[in-house]
Amino acid sequence: MKKFLSKPYWWAVFYSILLMGCFTFVMLDSFVIEKAYAVVDSTTQTTASTETTQTVSEKSDASEAVITENSYQDEEISITINTIEEYDSTIYIADIQLSDPSLLKTALAGNAYGRNIKATTSEIADSVNAIFAINGDYYGFRDDGYVLRNAVVYRDVARDSGDDQALVIDDDGNLSIINESEVSMDSLDTESISQILSFGPALIEESEIVVDADSEVDKAVTSNPRTAIGQIDEGHYIIVVSDGRTDESAGLTLLQLATVMQDQGCTVAYNLDGGGSSTMVFNGQVINQPTSGKTIEEREVSDIVYIGY
Amino acid sequence: MFTLVTKNKFVKTILVYGIISVLLVGINWIYSLFGHGVASPYMAFMFLYSLLGGSLFYLALFKSVPRLIESKGFRIFYNLYNSGIATLIVGSFMAGILEIAGTGSDYQKYFFIAGFSLIGIAITVMTIAIVLQKNTDSQKNTKKQVKKIEI
Repeated sequence: MKKFLSKPYWWAVFYSILLMGCFTFVMLDSFVIEKAYAVVDSTTQTTASTETTQTVSEKSDASEAVITENSYQDEEISITINTIEEYDSTIYIADIQLSDPSLLKTALAGNAYGRNIKATTSEIADSVNAIFAINGDYYGFRDDGYVLRNAVVYRDVARDSGDDQALVIDDDGNLSIINESEVSMDSLDTESISQILSFGPALIEESEIVVDADSEVDKAVTSNPRTAIGQIDEGHYIIVVSDGRTDESAGLTLLQLATVMQDQGCTVAYNLDGGGSSTMVFNGQVINQPTSGKTIEEREVSDIVYIGY
Repeated sequence: MFTLVTKNKFVKTILVYGIISVLLVGINWIYSLFGHGVASPYMAFMFLYSLLGGSLFYLALFKSVPRLIESKGFRIFYNLYNSGIATLIVGSFMAGILEIAGTGSDYQKYFFIAGFSLIGIAITVMTIAIVLQKNTDSQKNTKKQVKKIEI
């Protein structure tokens, strides 16, 4: 060993190869290698809302949905998508009214909870027959942050930056914000919670904008594609996706996004994963122009939030 | 006193680390162009390992113990120390990529543990080499003095 260490170039060559090997492994582990920790039990997943969904299905069978290019209407679901140009950006605003909170759901890519298990928003939406869908929080790209989906707790590890906020959707479909460093998963009444999404930050609480011009997502203060979900009142939601990183659409800052949500009348609103992930799907069609900055194409994500039976 | 070979070796190392520092600043700048406004201190300051731990460290070494290069343990120290700095730079670059992407890895801490460990071992080797060299020098001086007295 001593002799090997003393050779001028042998050690350098050996160690460089070792270092590059380790670097490559970590990159593959972080971005590529799929690791499934739990398979979503479809029976369990639907049990929580079976009764209400059955009732809804019976009702919906009775009346045909009226579907246009930018709207969906049946007895239980009303979706209207408006496109506006503001802040040098194209913004897609979905106004959603549900008679049953269980129609607001989430789904995981590959029907499994894990790391690097990915599919495009439209593929996941198609797999669950979603009427309307957006990207979720991309939980599978991180090892921390609460993950509770369709009443099943998958991850109870809080993010550690101290001010990370999570979105809680309770069984009544009401949105609220918690601080992960202050509220442990154990202290939550998970029996009455349908979903917890972990990205953030919160945009609006108690009808007031709670971000400012310096607010950031992992140090991103610039304009970017964004996705946000907000609530006006019981069963009435606003979902916004903005295009960005293109010549036609610069994207929004968090403050601009919050302002858009407030203008729509949201009393609470939360920022979901943005950038290349930002995607809105309606009736099987991608509505916005998702891009990571190069080509217009959907990025694969871990999960979606959707409306469907 | 030091030889021309000693000086060249140190100057070459100091220059190489200086060039690496500039390259690392450049890599961070290029990466920031495609980062959509997301930055990482890990990547922004990775050049400091090369500049402070490389160029400045070897400059200080050259000024304080120029004859270290002539000691038997120098090559071992040199290889271990440079490997430590390289590990810290790669670890910092990797942590920067992960942070900008909005993720992390349990493995990234091992790069920093390995890097600082290698540097620690290298400095221990260097210290032993310096002590041994001083002992050898003092023994040589003693022998010379004995010879002078005998003459």
